[in-house]
Amino acid sequence: MALRVPVNLRKNLSVVLYAFQGLSILAVIVGLASLLLLPLDEYSRRTYISENALLPGQVHAYFGGSEQNIVRAFRREVDLLGNSTSDVVSERMAEIFRSAGLKVGKQRYSYKAAGGEYTGENVYAVLHAPRGDATEAIVLCAPWKNIDHLLNEGGVALTLALSRYFKRWSLWSKDIIFLISSDARAGPQAWVDAYHDLHGENIQSLSVKSGAIQGVVVVDYPGAYHRFESLHIIYDGINGQLPNLDLINTAVQISRDQMGLRTDLQEMWDHNDGYRHRLRTMLRGMVNQALGHSTGPHSSFIPYHIDAITLATHGDGGWHDEGSLGRTVESVFRSLNNLLEHFHQSFFFYLLMAPKRFVSIGTYLPSAMLLAVGLTLTAIRLWVDPRSRSGEVGEKVEEVKEKSEKGEKGKEGKAGEVVAVDVGPKRELFLPMSIVIGVHFCGVIPFAVFNSVDYKSMSSAFYIFIAASVILPTLISILITLTASPHRLLPAFHLSRCFSLLFLGMFLSTLATLNFSLSFLIGLFSLPLTFARTTPKSVPLALLNSILLQVTSPFAALFIIAGYWGLGVEDILKEASFGWWVWRMWTPVVVWCVWWPAWVVGRISVDSSFVMAAMGKTG
Amino acid sequence: MTLPSVYSRQWLVFSPSIILIRIAAFLLITALSGNTVVADTYKEKLDLQPLSGQFLLASFNFQSHGPIEAFNKQMFQLFPRSLGQILQYTHTRELHLRFALGRWDSELWGAQPGDGQNAGGTGVETWAWVEADNDVEAEARWTSLNNALSGLFCASLNFIDSTRTIRPVMSFSPTGDYPTTNTSRLFLLHGSLPKEPVCTENLTPFLKLLPCKGKSGISTLLDGHKLFDASFQSMSIDVRPICSPHTGTCDIEIQQTIDMVLDISRSLQRKDSPVPRPRDQHELICDTSKPYASNEYCYPMDNSVDLPWSLSDLFGRTISGGCPFAINLPAEETQHVCIHAPEDKLKTMETLELASPTSIESRPNSRCYMLREDVLFDLSFPKHQPPISPLRQEPLLYAERSFTGHGQEHGGVKTVLRNPNPNDPVEVVYLESLPWFMKPYLHTFKAQVLPALGEGEEVISELYYRPALDRKRGTQLEAKLIVPPNSVVILTYDFEKAVLRYTEYPPDANRGFDVASAIITIPSQRRRSDGKRVPATSIRTTSLLLSLPTPDFSMPYNVIIFTSTIMALAFGSIFNLLVRRFVAVDEVQRMDLKGKIKGLIGKIKKGKTE
Repeated sequence: MALRVPVNLRKNLSVVLYAFQGLSILAVIVGLASLLLLPLDEYSRRTYISENALLPGQVHAYFGGSEQNIVRAFRREVDLLGNSTSDVVSERMAEIFRSAGLKVGKQRYSYKAAGGEYTGENVYAVLHAPRGDATEAIVLCAPWKNIDHLLNEGGVALTLALSRYFKRWSLWSKDIIFLISSDARAGPQAWVDAYHDLHGENIQSLSVKSGAIQGVVVVDYPGAYHRFESLHIIYDGINGQLPNLDLINTAVQISRDQMGLRTDLQEMWDHNDGYRHRLRTMLRGMVNQALGHSTGPHSSFIPYHIDAITLATHGDGGWHDEGSLGRTVESVFRSLNNLLEHFHQSFFFYLLMAPKRFVSIGTYLPSAMLLAVGLTLTAIRLWVDPRSRSGEVGEKVEEVKEKSEKGEKGKEGKAGEVVAVDVGPKRELFLPMSIVIGVHFCGVIPFAVFNSVDYKSMSSAFYIFIAASVILPTLISILITLTASPHRLLPAFHLSRCFSLLFLGMFLSTLATLNFSLSFLIGLFSLPLTFARTTPKSVPLALLNSILLQVTSPFAALFIIAGYWGLGVEDILKEASFGWWVWRMWTPVVVWCVWWPAWVVGRISVDSSFVMAAMGKTG
Repeated sequence: MTLPSVYSRQWLVFSPSIILIRIAAFLLITALSGNTVVADTYKEKLDLQPLSGQFLLASFNFQSHGPIEAFNKQMFQLFPRSLGQILQYTHTRELHLRFALGRWDSELWGAQPGDGQNAGGTGVETWAWVEADNDVEAEARWTSLNNALSGLFCASLNFIDSTRTIRPVMSFSPTGDYPTTNTSRLFLLHGSLPKEPVCTENLTPFLKLLPCKGKSGISTLLDGHKLFDASFQSMSIDVRPICSPHTGTCDIEIQQTIDMVLDISRSLQRKDSPVPRPRDQHELICDTSKPYASNEYCYPMDNSVDLPWSLSDLFGRTISGGCPFAINLPAEETQHVCIHAPEDKLKTMETLELASPTSIESRPNSRCYMLREDVLFDLSFPKHQPPISPLRQEPLLYAERSFTGHGQEHGGVKTVLRNPNPNDPVEVVYLESLPWFMKPYLHTFKAQVLPALGEGEEVISELYYRPALDRKRGTQLEAKLIVPPNSVVILTYDFEKAVLRYTEYPPDANRGFDVASAIITIPSQRRRSDGKRVPATSIRTTSLLLSLPTPDFSMPYNVIIFTSTIMALAFGSIFNLLVRRFVAVDEVQRMDLKGKIKGLIGKIKKGKTE
């Protein structure tokens, strides 16, 4: 049996085709289902501290008492400076740091993106470890304005107070850098770039430096309210990179077990550790990871292989105050100080679904891979399909003709060889190849345009571009339909889909190892591409396909994301442009140069059905 | 009130031993003087200097001289025998050994004490002139010297192998005199261990080399807990021959120094509580001029006061009298303890009424004391408000070095040299000793000057480069350059990171690899525009932490553990099968029965006989 099957398959290709189709559908279904299974107890794991040196929560934290009087005073100082320019702010901060006996540095920066200019001045102070040799450092950062542009009163005041408090301890093995960045998005990036001497022209170099940064904790404690309910741990980095899980575990363990502080992830404020909440936490994490944007000042550090998290306070009705947050930060710093090596023990690829529950890459990777495999299997099926050859199965007469013609040609071409096994007509590769490659090159255009256009003209540029990408596939299909001979049309569209899907599948499976979520989401949106084909015989089916493609287009995704945050599309595009120029965020490249071309090729195939139907070239 | 009792107890403890030492010394001296050998002399001195930012620099200097003939005949008086024999065995003519911890903050504290000649890079650094016929012999003697010193000082000096040894060309010159030795037979070798943590196990052997061994004299202040809590700490040992140009006689000199910078506020607080808990509310010094100042709000006022301190507060003890060897019998001017501070501050100083130490007025900004045997010594400063800014000597050069770039493959080094002097340029020799796995690209070695020089002017005048050989030796890079007045020279170069073999990683592979500090030597300059003569100075940058691409060690280790377990199980059962003798079940039972019965009978018989 087993031996006979392949022999039969040569004659009866439809079995293979169905098998492939079935397999690809199965891959997609299993991929999706396995993702939904992850939050279950059987597939996720409890978090654990992998690096023994950290010893989280093993020391008593003393911050409090009279130190809180100082925090309150600094709060007033920050409040007074609330609306001052960054020069005044940085000078005042520098003065406070200097009076505590620390080395102070200031840094001006200026970025240009989406027609806007982002300027500011970071100020930072270095506490030399008493017996240290300046080889290692840890950073405590507080942005002056947090990611929501609120004045980070509590965070800055706490950082100032902790800088004085930490100086009295003689146990530090690493230098501690206190950074007050001018904002939460560009400031930390400018600082960390300059720390590694990789900064651009409009960014000042740092005058004072220390050693290799081992960890970063950002304190985000905005508003005038002293009290807060829970601690929100933000951990997503640029391009979906994540800090070592040990750092998050340390923060969670210290705040929950030592300080009795509730911790939240991904803005899930009432997490009950049930399936639905776990799934939502995970999906929110995946969205953040897929977008690859900065979710706080910590994000800019992660591409430099510096593990960083933001501790943000949430709510104003709780009973925790500066003291609790100060002790939490103190205890986290004591743990970081214990580190003998760089963070390396625990996971760098994981999905968190509750503060103490995660899945590691080995468990979740198959789901994104299976989606990509589904695309690749479809591509292989399209290649094997006799319709990829110049003639269609449905048109028996023509097919026979073509087959005989082509077959003879093929035999002539390979005269010396043994009778060619493949008796079908040859595949015409030039036209589909040039379609796919050409469209992929076109992907550079939106990428370049959206990264160079001003914010003001961003939305008009976007709508023009939507119109263009609606018309472009139709135009291309008209052009091809007009120029190419009718019997070559269908195979050409067929093969162009094949190549495009093959490329997309390979790319997504590679991307899955780097940024799982982006790969998964693009794979999900690209599913209609597997069945949206050229159907000149059935215009309603083509119409349905066309609508499906429109719904799952990159533009639709943009609108969905904009709706998710309640922003305009132009804001999202501005963010993308800012991300490219400031954070070196690669998401726009993936969207415009990989996804959009694949979608356009899909559209060409579908649109050509209308064109062919209209022109009567039905194959 | 407790002072007399302390005094008497100290007297009880120390006096007999000191008397014994004195007798021994006297006997030695008289015995040797008959042999026409001049006795060794010994000096010790403690220099105290308050530094800005509430720090105190304490420089201990112990120096002894002895005739070289006696040394060569292994007749050691004050020269430590353990060290002397090592030096003789390895033909080491001049030895310099440095242990350092922390970093000297030249921005705040100014120039380093002793022109930086006594300080080394972080960790352990050593260099020596070894006499040998050829390079190979010198290398062998250098290795045995390091191995012996490693045992003597409880330091990992034995890890200074060929990969960590360099032969500086421009940076070092002998400080001793060699009228009789052929200098071409002297080989200079230099090695450093930047990762070595210096701690009490290094201090104890250091103190043992002293004639009074930390029992009396200024060395009584050297307590490991205090010394290693200092913000900067450096121990040095220098052995060199000195010849008098007049008489032609040569001495061997051993000089031991300890420089430490104590954080006064931290040391004082340690006295109250080892944990720096938040202060009581009433202890806070608040700025009451702030509009919001109240019980709940406290804007702290720092550095508004010079903290009161005394030697016993900072060091936990007083100086228990002078070391007998360091006290010249005719009470001539011997300075044992000197304090350098502005005159205003010195006026407020009090020496405790434990003794009446001799005060020797010399300069307005310093005051010196002579210690007397068995007489405790302490000095104290009262609280001073507003603070008096302490003396500070502007360093000749500020140096800072850091890594640039990131990633596993390439990196860069950036060194910033700043000359603060508005008039005089500084001539500098920059020495970099890099491990072999850090491969610099020499073509990227560049010097940028800010403000820029005129055309045709070059900063670097000489360059000596000895490339690395994989696993055999490291890179040595020496550059002679001139830092123009009031300007900054930025030296940069790129390097490539080598991939190590699996077994070459240390146990803490992910920590990174330490790169030894760069050594910046400023040769002595005759005259400067202000007419002062500038002594030879040396500056060390901080060491660096180089991260190399590191494999995931956990997986292989798991495999090894699992395989070993399986091997052990398999071996155990196979061994068991091979060695054990198998017998049928019924046989065993029968034998057992017999044995039991026999045993029972035996017992009964025994019981009956008793």
